[in-house]
Amino acid sequence: MFDWKLALEAIGMVIYATFMGFIFMGIERKAMARIQRRIGPPIYQPIIDTLKLLGKKESVSHGLIYDFGPVFALGASITALLFIPIANFQLFSSNADLIVVAYLLEVPMLGIMLGAMSSGNPYSALGVQRGLLTMVAMQLPYGLALIALIQHWGTFKLSNIVALQQVHGWSITVPALLLAFIVFDIVFQALLGLEPFDIVSAPAEISMGPMVEYGGKHAALLFTQHAVQLFAETAFFAVLFLGGASNLLELLVKQIAVLFIAIFVASIYPRFTIDQAAKFFWKWPTIIGIIAVLLTM
Amino acid sequence: MSERKNDEFISYELKEFKLFEPLFRWARKKSLWIVAFCTGCGGIEMPPLATARYDFERFGIMPNPAPRMGDLFLITGYVTPKTLKRIIITYEMMQDPKYVLAHGSCPINGGVYWDSYNVVKQLDKYIPIDVAIAGCMPRAEAVMQGIMDIIRKIENGEADGWKRYRENYEWYRKNQDELFGEGWREKDAKRWLAWL
Ligand code: SF4
Repeated sequence: MFDWKLALEAIGMVIYATFMGFIFMGIERKAMARIQRRIGPPIYQPIIDTLKLLGKKESVSHGLIYDFGPVFALGASITALLFIPIANFQLFSSNADLIVVAYLLEVPMLGIMLGAMSSGNPYSALGVQRGLLTMVAMQLPYGLALIALIQHWGTFKLSNIVALQQVHGWSITVPALLLAFIVFDIVFQALLGLEPFDIVSAPAEISMGPMVEYGGKHAALLFTQHAVQLFAETAFFAVLFLGGASNLLELLVKQIAVLFIAIFVASIYPRFTIDQAAKFFWKWPTIIGIIAVLLTM
Repeated sequence: MSERKNDEFISYELKEFKLFEPLFRWARKKSLWIVAFCTGCGGIEMPPLATARYDFERFGIMPNPAPRMGDLFLITGYVTPKTLKRIIITYEMMQDPKYVLAHGSCPINGGVYWDSYNVVKQLDKYIPIDVAIAGCMPRAEAVMQGIMDIIRKIENGEADGWKRYRENYEWYRKNQDELFGEGWREKDAKRWLAWL
């Protein structure tokens, strides 16, 4: 029997996530502007941008893979979203969904890169190379933070982690997991592609990196993907370290808190070069991550 | 790049979506992404526009380095034949609808370089200009005014430079070829944009 209620819930969740993701992007731009003492755009500006990109009269394509890249990225983001327990709603669930989500959140970057590479633009190629290097560099601290978390709660299941946090207090109240939280937050900056690690798209250097050839409909798709991704990542963060949420409002507050940490860090620090970023990731976050893992043993 | 063949573009001129045209027009005027071609003296007027003093981001205007996503092409000063080649290529890389804003007297009639051997006197002969701002150099307020003009023109549907370029492509092409000689696209553009 086809479950209509579940299907409707899933669709509603995707629509809600896309909308809130756009608003998060707007908040990001607005907050940055306020920090720089500007007025800044209205917070629904990303929606206008996406509409405009959709309204472009032409869209250059470089072949099948180029078209497939954004679709692939969007699909991965939505799948990741449906694995995360968002306020009692979780469409998919498996015994190791933490691992699944952790790596599904990285797949979109690969999708964008797939499309970007097929355009043959040298700036895209440079951006892709940098992006892959960043991904390799951040795997180690990312993995360590997740291992610490898993070892402490003794489960791979996201819904179990939420339930345990509801009983024993949030993850960040445990000293070892506080260290893991710090590591995860640093990695999070790279996951979102925000400032100290925005080496991938570095607007002033390599003119948007992988996105340079995208325009029109493709870029609109990438914008939507970014919105869903932003929502999924902040929700993942809130679920892992801030005790999940029992309703959407609570989740929203936690997501915005996470987002603001990222924005403040991003608006203070300048950009690393790629070798500095790799060195940084393999030094301090890794050391803190190892300490965190040892403490949870 | 050399020739605008039909099969190079996916055409999205969907008649079914005519209904959404007012919505798209509203979005277009609210979100202009700038590709700034900072030739000549005008590039220096961009930082005050973008930063706290005039802050054009509150109108949704955003500097954007990738020509494929850009809407508004700023040409901020005199144009030499060498830069004109780049300008034409960048303009053709941008996707319709696209608007051009020319700063200062130089792109209009040569300005102080009216008798120079190496300055293109009238930019309008090579690419269509939507709004030109007179002055040497126009202050940031004047540039803001120019952008407001563009926004107003988009609202009324008068900003049709991209349409004119499509319709009178032969004429623009003839002028360009007169200046650079035949076959300059194949020679130069192919070298710069080897991946196309
Ligand atoms: S109009 Fe004046 S300020 Fe502008 S490029 Fe020409 S000489 Fe320079």
